[in-house]
Order: sequence, then structure tokens, then C-alpha cells
Amino acid sequence: MHRQYELVYIAMPDSTEEQLAELHQQVVTVVDRFGGTIERTESWGRRRLAYEINRQREGVYVLEILNGPGAMTTELDRRLRVLDIVMRHLIIRIDEVLEKETRTQTRRKAATVARRLRRGLPAEPTEQELSRRKAEADDADGGDGFGEGDR
Amino acid sequence: MNDYDKDSRGGGRGGAKGAAKGKDDKAGRRGGFFRRRRVCKFCVEKIDYVSYKDVKVLTPFIPERGKIQPRRISGTCAKHQRALQVAIKRARTLALIPYVTD
Repeated sequence: MHRQYELVYIAMPDSTEEQLAELHQQVVTVVDRFGGTIERTESWGRRRLAYEINRQREGVYVLEILNGPGAMTTELDRRLRVLDIVMRHLIIRIDEVLEKETRTQTRRKAATVARRLRRGLPAEPTEQELSRRKAEADDADGGDGFGEGDR
Repeated sequence: MNDYDKDSRGGGRGGAKGAAKGKDDKAGRRGGFFRRRRVCKFCVEKIDYVSYKDVKVLTPFIPERGKIQPRRISGTCAKHQRALQVAIKRARTLALIPYVTD
């Protein structure tokens, strides 16, 4: 049973390109061994940490999207914990949530189209409607008082 | 007779409750300032999955101290507050968001 996972790890800020490549290679090896695949690798680069980890204020973030069995994540978790170069890591399962997201979005879209058709409107909003809606949104800006927390 | 009595009492109670609730709502407004109706940001913007990676989305829900803002203040619906809570906690482990700030 293959599932999709998201792995993020934070490497030491003083790690070199080669070290990072080697680290990535280690992940690849584990994934391969379990018959999984790496869908995408995203490097966020050096980022400031919100708090100190291992006396470091910065870290190199890397995100990988993996397909593979659950046993793979246990092994990855174990390996990453042992490596000194990795300060922190997180593996989460994402296939279910992504599926759910697309499902609700398609359902919502279908409902909108059905509603519009019932009212005798074309399925897609017209140019005129879009421009009017945009103007309304601009008016509402700053006045809704939402999400204006202390920060 | 007995049955009738029960029924009427039940109905009466239900009615009274409903009326009392309406009154309470009004009383809340009467007390002083009018509170704007709070809406869930995630419902309004149609965000179905609250990701821990979007720090920009999360920060409005983290006041100065670094705690998670309660629903009663932010107006987030129960479903999205739960998702938000998980996202914030994940972001914390990855040091994207602080646990505490003094």
C-alpha cells in the first residue's frame, strides 16, 4: 500500500552543498529500498528559526514529497534522528488531506455551476460580474476587521 | 388528561426557552458596544486545507505571547480551528513559529 508523505528536514546552517547532496542521497536510498518514489524536492534554503535549536539561529530547510509504504517513514524517521547534520525533521501523510481538498473543491465548483444554471445564468461568471466582484472586494478591504491580530 | 398535560408543558417549556434565548441575544447588544458578527476566515476564503507551511496564513492567529488564539476571539469555525491547531503545532516543531515569546 503506497501512500504519499511530506518530509521536511532542517539541516545545520554551516553544512556544505556536498553534505546536503549526501543527505538527500541517503533519503533517496531509503526510499528506493522500500520501493517508493520521490515526487518532488523543494529547497527552501536558509531560513531564520523561530527559536534556537542546537544553539543555532538559522537552518537549511528541505522539503521532499515521497510515495511509499508506511514502513519507509519509520526507517526515514530513525535515520534522520541519528544524523547530526539534521537538526529537526517532520514526516506527515498528505494523500488523504489532498484528496479531501480536491474533492471538496470540485464539489463546491459543481454546486456553484448548478446554482447558477438554476437561476438561468451562464455556468461561468461573465466578465462584467468578475469586474464588479473585484470592485466590491476592494471596497471591503481594511473594513472587515478580520485577521488583524496583535501581529 | 395526563397525556395532554405533559404535552402542553413540554411545548410550553420549549417555547419559553426559545423566547428567552431571543431576549438574551438582545440583552447582549443592549449592554453597551455592538460586536461585529465574526466569521471564519477559512470558510470565507474557502481554504480547505490549512497547511503548516503557510506561515502568513497562521500568524494572524498567534498573538504576541505565541499562544493559539481561541475561537471565541478569532471567530474561526470548529472545523477550521481544529485544522489550524494542528497546522500551528506542526509549524512550531519546524521552528517556523515560536512556542513562546517573552
